[in-house]
Amino acid sequence: MFLTVQLTGILLIFVGSPLLWGVTQTVKARLQGRRGPSVWQMYRVIAKNWRKETVVPEYSSFLFRLAPSVAMAALVAVLVMIPMSGEAPSSWPHDLLTVFFLLALERFWVGLGGLDSAGTFGGLGASRSSTIGTGVEPALLAAFGVLWKVSGVSNIAPIAIWMKALPGGMFAWTLAAISFALIMLVELGRLPVDNPDTHLELTMIHEATILESSGRLLAMSQMAMTLKFSVVVALGWVVLGPHTSSPWSNLVLLLAELVGTSVALGFAESRFTKLRYFQLPAYLSIAAGIGALGFLVMSGGFSL
Amino acid sequence: MVYWALISAACLTASAGMAYRRWSNVSVLMLSLGILILGAVGLIGKVTTALIPGVYALTPLGSWFLIVLGVVATMSAWYRWGYGDHGRTSSLWLPIFLVSMASVILAANVWAFLTAWEAMAASSFFLVTTDHHKSEVLQSSYIYLVMSQVSAMFLLAGFMAVSSQLHSYDFAVWTAHAAALSSSTKTLVFVLLGLGFAIKSGVVPFHIWLPRAHPIAPAPVSALMSGAMIKLGIFGIMQFALIDLGVTSRALPIAVLAVGAVSAVLGVLYALMEHDLKRLLAYHSIENIGIILLGVGVMGVGIDWRQPPLVVLGLAASLFHTLNHAIFKTQLFLAAGAVEKHTGTLDADQLGGLIRTIPGVAVGFLIGSMAISALPPFNGFVSEWLTFRGLLGVASHSAGLLALYGLGLAMALGLTGGLAGLCFVKAFGTIFLGEPRKQVAHDLIPGKMTSPILALGLVSLLLGIFPQPLLRLATQADPQATFSTFALSGLLVSPKTLIIAAVLLVGTALFAAASRVWDVATVPRWSCGRIPDASMQLTSASFTKAIRTTFAVIYRPHRELTQLGQHVPDFADRLVFHGGTVPIWERHVYRPLYRLIWKVSHFSTRIQAGPVRLYLAYLLGTVGLMIAVIH
Repeated sequence: MFLTVQLTGILLIFVGSPLLWGVTQTVKARLQGRRGPSVWQMYRVIAKNWRKETVVPEYSSFLFRLAPSVAMAALVAVLVMIPMSGEAPSSWPHDLLTVFFLLALERFWVGLGGLDSAGTFGGLGASRSSTIGTGVEPALLAAFGVLWKVSGVSNIAPIAIWMKALPGGMFAWTLAAISFALIMLVELGRLPVDNPDTHLELTMIHEATILESSGRLLAMSQMAMTLKFSVVVALGWVVLGPHTSSPWSNLVLLLAELVGTSVALGFAESRFTKLRYFQLPAYLSIAAGIGALGFLVMSGGFSL
Repeated sequence: MVYWALISAACLTASAGMAYRRWSNVSVLMLSLGILILGAVGLIGKVTTALIPGVYALTPLGSWFLIVLGVVATMSAWYRWGYGDHGRTSSLWLPIFLVSMASVILAANVWAFLTAWEAMAASSFFLVTTDHHKSEVLQSSYIYLVMSQVSAMFLLAGFMAVSSQLHSYDFAVWTAHAAALSSSTKTLVFVLLGLGFAIKSGVVPFHIWLPRAHPIAPAPVSALMSGAMIKLGIFGIMQFALIDLGVTSRALPIAVLAVGAVSAVLGVLYALMEHDLKRLLAYHSIENIGIILLGVGVMGVGIDWRQPPLVVLGLAASLFHTLNHAIFKTQLFLAAGAVEKHTGTLDADQLGGLIRTIPGVAVGFLIGSMAISALPPFNGFVSEWLTFRGLLGVASHSAGLLALYGLGLAMALGLTGGLAGLCFVKAFGTIFLGEPRKQVAHDLIPGKMTSPILALGLVSLLLGIFPQPLLRLATQADPQATFSTFALSGLLVSPKTLIIAAVLLVGTALFAAASRVWDVATVPRWSCGRIPDASMQLTSASFTKAIRTTFAVIYRPHRELTQLGQHVPDFADRLVFHGGTVPIWERHVYRPLYRLIWKVSHFSTRIQAGPVRLYLAYLLGTVGLMIAVIH
């Protein structure tokens, strides 16, 4: 039962991720008074790039060509580890710390791919995305602080129900959710951290790392980008979101939450402007601080 | 008796090697393999065996460190075949260095330990000064010698404090009875031994010798020092301060955790600012010692709180990270040596594109970089995962601010991991990728140098995928076997390394095959319409600019822009940029300390004027005073 639900979920999310991108873009376009492209636009873009000739810059090595595949494999590994049906049996890998390491693996290779293009923009993007990445892991540890405290282990498990039963639980849950939402925007490279729509070389972060990519490599990078959105958002919902007793309804709930988050992101992105790059450490510290506060609430406040 | 035969055979080969330099490498290799086998035998045997009763004994914990030493030494000896460092200095001192390190681990009483410890310091000093015709080499190694001596004095004081209470110099007696010492003695001993071993391990703020001494030595020696020697400090802390003393004052392990976190974060932050590859690696040793100390601290906290799960977790995490760090740091140092042989420089800002000229070394360095950045599926990932679990265990077994402290430590470790990843993207990217920044030599290097580097990569991968058998052995390294009753089986398989590695490797292969990565055309880079050249790539300084700005409190960065050739104001012919960071420990701690010591010794010349009769008078006075006090 678990395996069927899990495999269905993996397949649906893997195939459906570009759609979520389209949903966000459509919401943004409507809010700006435009019709905007179709929600299926990302599929068309990926298909177009896949058919085109793949060219690589001179002075690049096999790492440049391998980087999108490694990033994709790391994200698929994260996807496999997220228990779609709520709770996973202990034989299934579903460890949250491992997810952090896998996300670091993805960043590492995206950074290497950027530097391997031997150009300025790839290097800039690599520097920026790796620098931001250094702050993400400690912030995520703080955001999921309540998880360690409540469960005592690092498994990905729904904790909202346990938290409801604990004194101060809902307050801590709210703090953890806010903290995670803030960090999620950083990890996904969305406003106010990075603007996925811009192609101005001096401001972009993720787009700069794949500036030299083309053809199938670019298509792979774009698939990875959309998949990363799904896995990071799904991770947050599975741990912090609501949870029912039936595996299938949990999967349906998760898919609905993913679409809902895409719509909400469209609204949110229309409200924010981009932060200065050098203000990001402050942004991340605030996010981590909120998460740590939630953890402190669960561990009995200011006492020794 | 078997062990003893093994060691003496190894020693004989070593001395034979000294006589016939051509055979020196064979003897070093034999010796290293002997150490490795001895360690393996001891670890599988699981009991303490006396080699020479009362002088040398093989303990399970010591066996683990013998394996660490044996792996590093074997690989370095293998590498020396291609590296060709067969000068007099290393042929003479390398076997002595190896034997003294093994003796430190095997020592069963204070005198055997301190003799070996000093022999280790002296032989490594001579190895560091291999290139003694350079003035900065002498200066750096002198700092190393002074720090080694300070470390040995702290150890002597700590050992004396224990032996005066227990009336024994025998470590076996200490293991049996030291736990019954009074709390104040325990605190004193913990602090003294902790300081002594911390200096030798290069823990911040005693780290200043490490980035000076490690890089100037030949690559195999750097690997031995970073991979094995500094770990002996960790061995000392675990054996004498944690296992022997048992439950101590609650604040002490908590302080160890803090020291570990500070070392980890500052070590990697300093590494980020380096563009000399070997210095960068040396700073990463400080970082990794910090990570190991976090595991040691978890173990100490577990002992104090009487939480066996935490003890076993901390023990497994720190021992496994000790071995892992030895493996990937040896690999990285050997790769750095190959880069130096190949190009004649280690300055990242002069290099680039080496992946095309030395692909084998590049792949080895890449694997080492991924392992040290704790990325799956390599071994660094498993041990850092265990350390994280230990720290989160501290956080969930406590309440209030102490729990927050545990979470903060885990966050510090997370930050360290992220920064290490950034640092190795920088190091690998600037040295091996892109277009060469300067015209440097590209001398051919023998394949014999590349194979040990790649072999270590394979070991990293295997330990990353199948860590469970070794972890099980690591948890049994506690000689009292108090905690091995706790079943770790559930925990050890928890990261499911095999499934993750399979998904990663198969996934990468599938996606790479699907996108037909071999079927590509090469075009010039995008350079906004200008003619592309090497200077448009990022340097190691520009890559870490944002980090320098964010952590300006620690770095105190300064920059100076000079305009040359002022034909037209504000439009200089050439701009010269000088930038750098301030070494705050040297400036605000060590220089004042040095001045103070200088002043004190200057003052002491007043009573130490030279006439012999004055000294005789001091002697008489001291003896008289002693008699008066004793009566």
